[in-house]
Amino acid sequence: MSENAFLTVTDLRAGYGGARVLHGVSLAVGQGEICAILGPNGAGKTTLLRALSGMVRVRGDVRLDGADLSGRSPDTIARQGVAHVPEGRGTFMPLTVEENLRLGAFVRRDRRSLRGLRDLRGRRGGSAVDADLERVHTYFPVLKTRLKQVAGSLSGGEQQMLAIGRALMLRPRLLLLDEPSLGLAPMVTQELFRIVRAVNEEERTTVVVVEQNAHLALSIAQQAHVLESGRIVLSGSAEQIRADEQVAQSYLGYRV
Amino acid sequence: MAGFLQEIVEGLGAGAIYASLALALVLIYQFTGIVNFAQGELAMFSAYIAWQFMAAGLPFWLALVLTLAVSFVGGMLIERVVIRPVEGAPELTVVIVTVGLFIFVNAAAGWIWSFLIKDFPNPFPGGAIEAGGLSLGYSTLGIMAVVGVVMGLLYLLFQHTKVGLGMRAVASNPSSARLVGIRVGWTLALGWGLAATVGAVSGILVAPLLFLEPNMMGGVLIYAFAAATLGGFDSPVGAVVGGLVVGVAETLAGAYVGFIGSDLKVGVPLVIILFILLLRPQGLFGRAAVERA
Ligand SMILES: Nc1ncnc2c1ncn2[C@@H]1O[C@H](COP(=O)(O)OP(=O)(O)OP(=O)(O)O)[C@@H](O)[C@H]1O
Ligand SMILES: [Mg+2]
Repeated sequence: MSENAFLTVTDLRAGYGGARVLHGVSLAVGQGEICAILGPNGAGKTTLLRALSGMVRVRGDVRLDGADLSGRSPDTIARQGVAHVPEGRGTFMPLTVEENLRLGAFVRRDRRSLRGLRDLRGRRGGSAVDADLERVHTYFPVLKTRLKQVAGSLSGGEQQMLAIGRALMLRPRLLLLDEPSLGLAPMVTQELFRIVRAVNEEERTTVVVVEQNAHLALSIAQQAHVLESGRIVLSGSAEQIRADEQVAQSYLGYRV
Repeated sequence: MAGFLQEIVEGLGAGAIYASLALALVLIYQFTGIVNFAQGELAMFSAYIAWQFMAAGLPFWLALVLTLAVSFVGGMLIERVVIRPVEGAPELTVVIVTVGLFIFVNAAAGWIWSFLIKDFPNPFPGGAIEAGGLSLGYSTLGIMAVVGVVMGLLYLLFQHTKVGLGMRAVASNPSSARLVGIRVGWTLALGWGLAATVGAVSGILVAPLLFLEPNMMGGVLIYAFAAATLGGFDSPVGAVVGGLVVGVAETLAGAYVGFIGSDLKVGVPLVIILFILLLRPQGLFGRAAVERA
C-alpha cells in the first residue's frame, strides 16, 4: 500500500446496533485507481461501502486525500466528493429520470445558492449542473431519451445506469459501486463496466467496486481485496488475485 | 335546480376547509408515514395564537403572517422534541404519541385561554355575489381562494425549488436521499413545520365559522381524515379533491336525505371512510401499498 494513497482506511470497525460486521478493515487506494472488493454473501462488503459513505457508525480511521471522514454524516461526506451507488440502485421511483440525476448534484455548491436553486430545476441553461447532465448523457445516451419519464418505469439495466449517472452528477472524487451487475444480463453488465472504466480513465475518478462477478471486476481493477466475515483475508494486484486460482477458489467459492 | 347548485357551492366551501386540514395530514404522512392525530389540535392552537396577536392589537393580516411563522417553527420543534425520539418505533407507539400530543395541546389551550368560547373575526366581508340565482358568499369564495393559494404555493415549493425536490426525494427513498447528501432529519422537521403552517391556515379559516374554543377542530379532523382516506394519504392533490367531495357529500346528504338532516350528517365522513377502506384502501389518488424504506 502506498504512503500517499488517496483513500486510506485503517482498522475500520462497523456494525448495526450491537452486531459488529466489520472487524478492523484496512486498505488503501491510490488516486485514479479502481479497487475491487470481493467476497461471499454476508461478508460485509455492503457494510464497508456504507461505512465509507457515513451510512453506518464507524470506529477507526477513514481518510480521503488526507481529510478525516470517519464519524462524518453522509451529507458531509457527499460534499467531500464521495458518491455511493447503493446495492439495489436506490432509485427515486416516482421522480423523473431528470430529477433523479439532478438530485445527484444536490450538495454541489458551484455557484451562489440562489442561482443553484434554479439550476437544479434546469430553468436556466448553461450552468455547471446542466453541463454535467450533458456529460452523463454522453456516457448513457439512453437516459437522455427518458428524461421526463418516471424513473420507476425504467428497466433494471436502465435504472443501474441512472444510479451511476446520478453518482456522476456529483463530479465525485471517489465512486463507490455496490454490485452494479446485480440482476442484469451479461451484455448489460459488460457495457456498464466498460463505462465505469471510461469514467475512471477520462476523469481520473477513484473507484471502489463491490462485485460478485469477480472475473469482470478484476478485469477493470488494478487491485483487489477479498473480504470474509468482516476481515480482509486476501489483498493484491488484480493480476495476482486472478492468477492465484487456488486461493481464489477457496475464498471466493468459484473460479475466476 | 338552483337550490341543488347552491348546496354544492356551500359544500365546496366547507370542503375547502376539510381539504386544508387533510393537506396538513398528508404532508406529514408522506414524509414520515405517521398519521398525526394531533393535527387538528395544532391548528386550533394556531388559531388561538392568531387570536392572541389580535387581542394585542395587531391587524388581522399581520397576525396571520406571524401565526404562520410561529406555527412553522412550532411544528419543526415538535418533530425534533416529541417525534424524533420515537422515530422507527412500532406504529402503535407513534400513534399513541400523537394522541398524547392531541390531549396535551387541547389541555394546554384550555389552561392558557380557558374553555369559554371566543369570537374570532372573519377576515372576509359578510355579503354575497348573486349570480344566476346562486348566492356566492364572500366568505365561501375567500376560503376557496385561500385554500387554492395554499395549494399553489405547495405546488411551487415541491415542483420548482431545490428544497421541494429534496423533500420529494426523502418521501420516496429516505436512504438514497441521505446518500445524495440530503439532511433527512431536517427535511422531516421541515415537513412537520409545513404541515403545522397549512394546519394553521385551516384553524384560522374554521375559527370565525365555529367560534374559537379548544374543541373546535374535533369534527373537522374527522372530515379531514375522510378526505385524506378518500383521496389517498400519500397524495396532496387527492387530499384536496377528497376534501371537496366530502364537503359536498355531507352538505347534500344533510339537505336531501330525509333521515340524515343536520344532526346525522357528521356520520357521512365515517361512511365514506368505511367504504373507501373496503373498496380502495389506497384512496382515489394514492399509490397501492409499497414498502416504505
Ligand atoms: N441493516 C442491517 N441491520 C442488521 N444487520 C445487518 C444489516 N445489514 C446487513 N446486516 C448484517 O451484516 C452482515 C454483512 O452484511 P452485508 O450486507 O454488508 O454483506 P455483503 O457482503 O454485502 O453481502 P451480499 O453479497 O449478500 O450483498 C450480514 O450478516 C447481515 O446480516
Ligand atoms: Mg451487499
